Amino acid sequence: MYDSLVDVPIDSVEPTPSLATDWKLGDDGLSLTLNLRDDVKFHSGRDFTSEDVAFSIKTWADPKWTVQFQRTAAAITDFDTTDPHTVVLKFDHKLSNVFDLLDVLPIIDSETFDGLGEGKAYVGTGPFTFESWTPQSELTFAKNADYWGNEPKLDGIEVHIVPDAQSLTSQLRTGQLDLAIGVSNRDVDTLVKTGDFTDTAYEGSERQYYVGTNVTNPALKDVRVRQAIAYALDRERIVADVFQGNGYPIVAPWPKYSPAYDEDINQKYSRDVDKGKALVEEVGNIPTLSLEYSTGSPTYEAIAQIVQANLADIGIKVDLVPNEHPTHIDRLINGKYTALWILDHAYAQWTPSTLAVTAYPFNADKNSSNFVDAKYKKDANAAWEVADGTSPEAVEAYRKVTEDLVENLFLIESNVTWIRIPVSTGVHDLAWTKRSELVLTDTWLDD
Amino acid sequence: MTSYLLRRVPSAILVLLFASMAIFAVIRLVPGDPATILAGQDASPEALASIRADLGLDQPVLTQYLTWLAGMIRLDPGKSYMIGGDIGGLVRAGLLNTVVLTATALLFAVVLAGLAAIGSVLANRRWLDSVLAGANTLAVALPTFVTGVLFVVVFAVILPILPAGGTPPDGFFSRPGIAFQYLVLPALCLALPSAAALARFLTASLQTELGKPYVTTAQALGIRRRRIVLTQALPNALPATVTVLGLQVGALLGGAVLVEAIFAWPGLGLLIERAISDRDYPLVQALLLLSVLVFVVTQLLTDIVNAVLDPRIRLGGAS
Repeated sequence: MYDSLVDVPIDSVEPTPSLATDWKLGDDGLSLTLNLRDDVKFHSGRDFTSEDVAFSIKTWADPKWTVQFQRTAAAITDFDTTDPHTVVLKFDHKLSNVFDLLDVLPIIDSETFDGLGEGKAYVGTGPFTFESWTPQSELTFAKNADYWGNEPKLDGIEVHIVPDAQSLTSQLRTGQLDLAIGVSNRDVDTLVKTGDFTDTAYEGSERQYYVGTNVTNPALKDVRVRQAIAYALDRERIVADVFQGNGYPIVAPWPKYSPAYDEDINQKYSRDVDKGKALVEEVGNIPTLSLEYSTGSPTYEAIAQIVQANLADIGIKVDLVPNEHPTHIDRLINGKYTALWILDHAYAQWTPSTLAVTAYPFNADKNSSNFVDAKYKKDANAAWEVADGTSPEAVEAYRKVTEDLVENLFLIESNVTWIRIPVSTGVHDLAWTKRSELVLTDTWLDD
Repeated sequence: MTSYLLRRVPSAILVLLFASMAIFAVIRLVPGDPATILAGQDASPEALASIRADLGLDQPVLTQYLTWLAGMIRLDPGKSYMIGGDIGGLVRAGLLNTVVLTATALLFAVVLAGLAAIGSVLANRRWLDSVLAGANTLAVALPTFVTGVLFVVVFAVILPILPAGGTPPDGFFSRPGIAFQYLVLPALCLALPSAAALARFLTASLQTELGKPYVTTAQALGIRRRRIVLTQALPNALPATVTVLGLQVGALLGGAVLVEAIFAWPGLGLLIERAISDRDYPLVQALLLLSVLVFVVTQLLTDIVNAVLDPRIRLGGAS
């Protein structure tokens, strides 16, 4: 329904045009001039102008809304909208991840914005228009015949809410659904084996699973214990057993195409039980630690059991503590975990500076691990405040952030994985964004 | 009668008031904060504070309770935190789906039980009794989450003749034929345990009736067994069966929660399950208070009917 100013392709962090045709960063790195398409209309029929860009960014920065990249939006402090087809953004400081924001931020219609807040009107400039919403049941969208880009091939889209996993799989097998989100890896494999489905993995929109540590817990205060855990973790087994091979082990959070990825660092804590044991013996007297995980998904439980066995190998006893998902998130945001926890995060697929200023577990100011470190804070801010997020200066800044993460190990990364969805073989040209949103503009179906 | 009502209504209102306090307190005792769930795991503390203020969760608990209670008195239960939209509309839509599903299941249960019981009594064959008794035990023993999945696999996946789940795309009334196809599997799945209980009870009642002297007399007069069963034994066996049927309605409403999940049928069961797991306070409160209200009104009506029937009750037990 909505377009953004730029598109960041799924396999890179370099922006490509969308509603903005081209752009230029100011010499001081404190402004960005974007030239806008002049042939774009909102679904309401109104012309899209630079005023809409200013309105959308200001709305995004309003803490009333929970949105990604809000700190980046809030760092855009002034807008020049004199020319309806050019907008100049002025920054509070240099912003290495401004294009991540511009990729994610939807351009919204100011005239119908109140309806958006109330869930009644969804007016954008995108390839599909909003038709109807039946709470708990379905959403429907229709083709936007006046779309400025390629005309959508689908007449419309119906989104059905199916709460039961078994029912979801059955509806796919009967052909009631063409594709589904939220199907387990095992069910995807089963569906693919029928020959009627393909396996679409959202590569480029990775998620990272990790073991979190509360560094204020007396047993975890000593970095050697966290290092021992990092050595004990059997990442290969987690990828193979829990994710059926869909992913790869990591030590730093970055996916392989990220400018911050470093193969040597990624090998630093490969499983080595002897090193782990030696560190545990060196520290001595480690009490039983609790390992909390969310009951919301069998994935977390499976990882928790593997981690429990891994830590037993090096002499650390672990009690598994399942939490209901809301409780788990509450403990995450408020830094209330007793010792260890299992969860996943995203944001490492963007410009690397984004992670430490957007993903809460990595936030240098306040995070779930209660990890406070002046150097990490300085390095995280320095990486954010580089003008060009792909420059050698930026890459050097990311290297420092990575070193901080790997030296302090307040979050012990396990592996990268990606969402997989089963798609009927009759569906073609499906795409997705870095935020795991489906893009159906060019999608078509067999007759 | 008016004075009796004046005595009963205040106690009903008191029950509702205490129930509202209990509901309000209990949902808040469950760990997990709706603002946290709404904000997601990457929210900043500032965003969280803003959401809490927006939802009114930063207000003192008493203020929150009084605001909610005032809304309920004005028949304005507010908006759902998580699903979005007005709670009145959500409850109405859920209620319609649950009522349609339960009513169809009740109809199926009655028809199936009637066919099985009357068929068994009329045929009077031992092998048929054994088959029906076996089917009956299976229908009671198999939980709905097993029969539901089996039905879907057989009737939607292997023999693709019925939809695997979901509600009719054009509602229940514009194309009733299509709507019925969507209803068959969930309603049948929900109906089976009740049908089995009813069939067992009706068969036993019919057999008791058939052993009574009036039946022997009718047989002696040469009246055919079919006519005796349908015109004499059945009418006599029905009143007790109807009482059992009334009790089954509660079981059907309870069973609907699972069936709604299996068949993606967005009724009240799914709504309350989601509301509780999302800590959607206003929605949980409205749904629980609604169920208390239904109970209180039913109780009040029962008392009124009893009072009409028995003057001693409305005179306050005076003898």
